[in-house]
Amino acid sequence: MMNTPQQVKNPSSSLKSRFITRFLGALTKINAEDPISSPSPTRIFQRYRRIKVASNKSMAYSVRSRRIWSRAMLSRFRSRRSAFSGRRSSVKTTNCTTINVTINENKTAKGGLDMQTDELRELVPGGEAMDVCNLLDETAHYIKCLTTQVQVMRKIVDFCHLSK
Amino acid sequence: MQPCSREMQAMNSLLNPTQQIPLQDLQINGNRHHHQQIHVPSSSHFQYPTPTSTTHHDDSFLEQILSSTTSFPWSDETGPPNPEDNNNAGFNYDDMVLASKLRQHQINGGAAGNPFAAMKMMLMMQQQQQQQQMMLAGRPTVASAAAGGGITTNHQGGEGSMQALYNVFGDGSLHGTMQAKSFVGANSATEMTQSQGSGPTAGEAVTAPEKPKQRVRARRGQATDPHSIAERLRRVRIAERMKALQELVPNANKTDKASMLDEIIDYVKFLQLQVKVLSMSRLGGAAAVAPLVSEGGGDCIQTSANGGSHPRNSNGDQTPSANDRLTMTEHQVAKLMEEDMGSAMQYLQEKGLCLMPISLATAISSATSRSRNPMINHENPANGSHLLIQSSGGDGPSSPSMSVLTVQSATMGNGGLEGGAASVSKP
Repeated sequence: MMNTPQQVKNPSSSLKSRFITRFLGALTKINAEDPISSPSPTRIFQRYRRIKVASNKSMAYSVRSRRIWSRAMLSRFRSRRSAFSGRRSSVKTTNCTTINVTINENKTAKGGLDMQTDELRELVPGGEAMDVCNLLDETAHYIKCLTTQVQVMRKIVDFCHLSK
Repeated sequence: MQPCSREMQAMNSLLNPTQQIPLQDLQINGNRHHHQQIHVPSSSHFQYPTPTSTTHHDDSFLEQILSSTTSFPWSDETGPPNPEDNNNAGFNYDDMVLASKLRQHQINGGAAGNPFAAMKMMLMMQQQQQQQQMMLAGRPTVASAAAGGGITTNHQGGEGSMQALYNVFGDGSLHGTMQAKSFVGANSATEMTQSQGSGPTAGEAVTAPEKPKQRVRARRGQATDPHSIAERLRRVRIAERMKALQELVPNANKTDKASMLDEIIDYVKFLQLQVKVLSMSRLGGAAAVAPLVSEGGGDCIQTSANGGSHPRNSNGDQTPSANDRLTMTEHQVAKLMEEDMGSAMQYLQEKGLCLMPISLATAISSATSRSRNPMINHENPANGSHLLIQSSGGDGPSSPSMSVLTVQSATMGNGGLEGGAASVSKP
């Protein structure tokens, strides 16, 4: 039932290939500016964070703004970047909480599934401001993208290890 | 045509199909008693209580009707013939009316071919029978009340004509098929006058459900207000989405919505964790982690496990064999994980293993470490990501043996485990 526009497109521009391109580019950049041979824990941790962010960012950019979760993720990245430069992005969070309150009031129809939907909202980026129907839709697409991400990363690790 | 159809619809709605008829019985065309259970699936009639206890006297009557109607030419243009005709002509008129009514149904998309049309016709016949019965019982008010439940305008016109009808019955010869036919003829005449008198409103009230937009029409016992319809639509859409999610998530054989949601949540957490772990494995050079997902790391796992063993390792002899067993499983799982998550899970389950967070694993291992001989590696997490293999020799049936394969994430500054860690352990 899910609409998967990425899969019906030309395979050269599929979600997977777009993600791979972006992610590999980001990885090479990280490798270039931060050589591997730094043993200090903090550096390693920073590198790990960078790679994780690069991976998620590449995926979000590959999806562009077609999905609510990707839009939320991208705005999160941008706000984080602006936060680094000194600006605080507290406005966004307050908006989300107010929307969350109104949605909670309307959720009486679901009854006992409120807890799970809340948890799902936390997991899926941008899930606070969605109704249950859209939330499930976004979750499905998010799961699909996450699996692609994991697949690609595994293959890269495989390749890296085999080449050593 | 329009007056006829409206009239027929009024008749239809008069005696609501409270009976349930299996379609095959109708096709059998015989058993009158089965008609008690006639159910018109897509018919849209107003629901109001009607006396359902009816007794049909003439089986042959219905069969006659059926045989005649099946051979009757379906035509839409049937004008109202002489209502006083109480013999075969009147009977034929009713036939024609029914035929036209059924044709109307077919046009409206309600009928699915002749069997359904036959069913409709049988239903109408039965309704007429019921109405005749009611009138014979001498309760015209009841009949008109039942008739006018939803169509109030009919009710107003019903009284007088019912009385007239009753007089006709009282005067005429009431026996055999003639009786039934006369009833039918008079009935239809009555209905016609009624409907023509109150035609537009009744027709509209009754034809509204006959529109092709029948999916909006509520079924028995359900409201028609837009809120419940919207609610129903919403529920349907959510069910669709859940089904789509069920295909994506492995182990999605749960029928309960709550457990399905739990499964989905766990899977999303698991995927996010995998991304974290994999991005950590990217920290180059960490040969200990790469073996998790590649083949050639068997010796690496071995070395890291052996190198990391600490004084808690009290059973040194068991080490190599346990490690070997573990590494084989790990390799298998890693290979399977690369291809298909579902098969990896199945493989684990077949072996009696499961994934669990490392906190739980350490808790269990510390709990069982007294009764068995565990080999626990507590590698200093500051060295980056590495593999942690933990196994305890299987003891008696009291507690299961535990093999734990964990990936401990690098913890900078915390000293504990960061985030969650993926571990494979035997329950």
